[in-house]
Amino acid sequence: MGRAGSMVNSARARVLVAKTSLDGHWVGVFLVTRALRDAGFEVVSLGQATCDQIAAAAVEEDVALVGLNVGGRVEVVERVVRRVRERAGDVAIMAGGTIPPWARDRLEAEGVTVFTPGSSLESIVDTARRLTAAATP
Amino acid sequence: MGDEPLTRSGIPLHPNYSDADVPAAWRDVLAAPPGSPPFLRGAYPEMYRAQPWRIFQLSGYGSPEEMAERLRFLLAQGETGFIMKRDRVTNDHLYDADHPEVEARREDVGQTGAVLLSARDVERAIEGVPIDHSYAHPGAGVVQAGPFCLSSYWVAASRRGLDFTQLSGTGQSDFFLTYVGCVTKDQIPPRAGLRLNCDLIEFCAERMPRWVPVSIAGYNGADSGLNAAQELGALFANAVEYFEAVTARGRRVDSFARQIGGINLRTSMAFFEDVAKLRAARKMWCELLRSRYGVDDERALRLRIHVVTAGSAMTYDQPLNNIVRGTLMALAAALGGTQSLGVSGYDEAISIPSDHAHQMSIRIQQILQHECEGLMDVADPLGGSFFLERLTSELEERAWAFFEEIQARGGFVATLEDGWLAQRAADNQLAEWGLGRGSGRDVVGVTDFVDDVCEFPIVGFAQGADAWERAMVRLRELRTTRDGRAATGALQALEAGCRSQANVVPLMLDAVAADASIGEIGTVYREAFGCWDAPARW
Repeated sequence: MGRAGSMVNSARARVLVAKTSLDGHWVGVFLVTRALRDAGFEVVSLGQATCDQIAAAAVEEDVALVGLNVGGRVEVVERVVRRVRERAGDVAIMAGGTIPPWARDRLEAEGVTVFTPGSSLESIVDTARRLTAAATP
Repeated sequence: MGDEPLTRSGIPLHPNYSDADVPAAWRDVLAAPPGSPPFLRGAYPEMYRAQPWRIFQLSGYGSPEEMAERLRFLLAQGETGFIMKRDRVTNDHLYDADHPEVEARREDVGQTGAVLLSARDVERAIEGVPIDHSYAHPGAGVVQAGPFCLSSYWVAASRRGLDFTQLSGTGQSDFFLTYVGCVTKDQIPPRAGLRLNCDLIEFCAERMPRWVPVSIAGYNGADSGLNAAQELGALFANAVEYFEAVTARGRRVDSFARQIGGINLRTSMAFFEDVAKLRAARKMWCELLRSRYGVDDERALRLRIHVVTAGSAMTYDQPLNNIVRGTLMALAAALGGTQSLGVSGYDEAISIPSDHAHQMSIRIQQILQHECEGLMDVADPLGGSFFLERLTSELEERAWAFFEEIQARGGFVATLEDGWLAQRAADNQLAEWGLGRGSGRDVVGVTDFVDDVCEFPIVGFAQGADAWERAMVRLRELRTTRDGRAATGALQALEAGCRSQANVVPLMLDAVAADASIGEIGTVYREAFGCWDAPARW
């Protein structure tokens, strides 16, 4: 696809996508995964995973970006963020889902880029490109 | 013609309709009044004059006591039945609170429903709720959780001195929910689920005259991406699985068809197509039973419908606009002749409903029932509209075509097993929202008119934060105060039953009455049935 060919760095960038909760809402995860692939990213799909599983996969898969789907409480996401940072250093993290405004503020304070329902896939892909470009030396 | 706008099912819309657009054969169908087969125009002759639709809201969060409090609140606000939404983390996965998958996300517990781990928890959750004369949905949404959810409610009711035959309500055990849409991390394979559902159907046919054992929920297929024609086609393909499987056990279709003739559909912002969908559903059910199974009992031929308005239509931005969306979707349900209705909360995209959002969902329905003049007085008020009749007939045609496609692929359960049905939903999601492929549908406050100068911020409902800790306390108490030997014996009998041809429901009732916990039942299932390896969608 022409879209991917124009972004050499992004075309190589690896992204881990995981779901922090067991709520079972998959549409957002599916659409974001497909959009990132269509845009040329290499996406590692982890599905529903715990903080330890996500952190371990971020290291093993050597990803430039971790994308989290959130269908539950912000505390669970914060634990994932802490564990990922402990294990995988300052890898970029994005989160999207049913995140109320107060929880968005908390995640943004931790350096997480947050997308709330209604965000366009174009804006998510653009942000993923920017975050992975910054991570690539 | 190529530029004609299309409905979500792909039906072209013309600038106007006339008599010539209504198929000739449709005139005979229209000649049957509401309450007469094939029930296109309504399930009952007098419709809402005789019986307003039931106000039936999904509710539940936190601990059992919080569920009881919310149920009492909703009934006091004018709800006319109640739904006990259970926690997805524990209930949908059949996990106890101390399961490692649960402990890893302890803060999520109780955020998607109340944590009810045993019959004792259900007793607490219905404290002060008039279950002897209320229509109940005890939260049996997910197939593998169905027998436990219903048994735990029935046992809790019997501990209050009620006889099973007095209880009225509904199960759900819907395949669309977790085998198409909200796929769980851990669940039994679809064929094992079909067996459990047939066990419930047989049990209720014998023991529970006022209970709907399973309710096929097209809503879950629709909100996962299926269009209206696919929602209907797949729903009736699912019904055929029940008819075939239960008749193979030696039962006649007319001995249980009426009981499972209570289904669930979604209305969305596809207003007219959804009105048509409810009308077509009644006709299709009637014709399926008549032509395929020779049923002529009118009570069995009459489909009853519960509608839930699309949660996916509710926006995060400018959330008060969702009250208007909820009203329109509720109106579509009423114009389609629904028997009961739940309106999604205006805070749907932010959190589970606050008490105010819940109250608004009830008020929307009350305003329609009490203030919208004519709506309750006339059955099928849009019947005879050239446009609506053309739409209904065309939708029915497309729904039967999808039904036949599923049958040709080996039936409904086969299309769950190989992921074909889920892929149809995924294809629609991509066509609707995919990168560079979006349909360009306008959403006020999201894609257009986003400059929100007048802000009404919604905090997001966040109670029940201690639900996991409290569940752990109850679980420890359960394990130390019950007769452990009785619980173990009942669980062993349940496992033996699962491995045999026995009906599991009486065995489940014994286990639940012996205060077995949901996680122990899950362990039995996982041993006996194994776990489903869901086909990958991407």
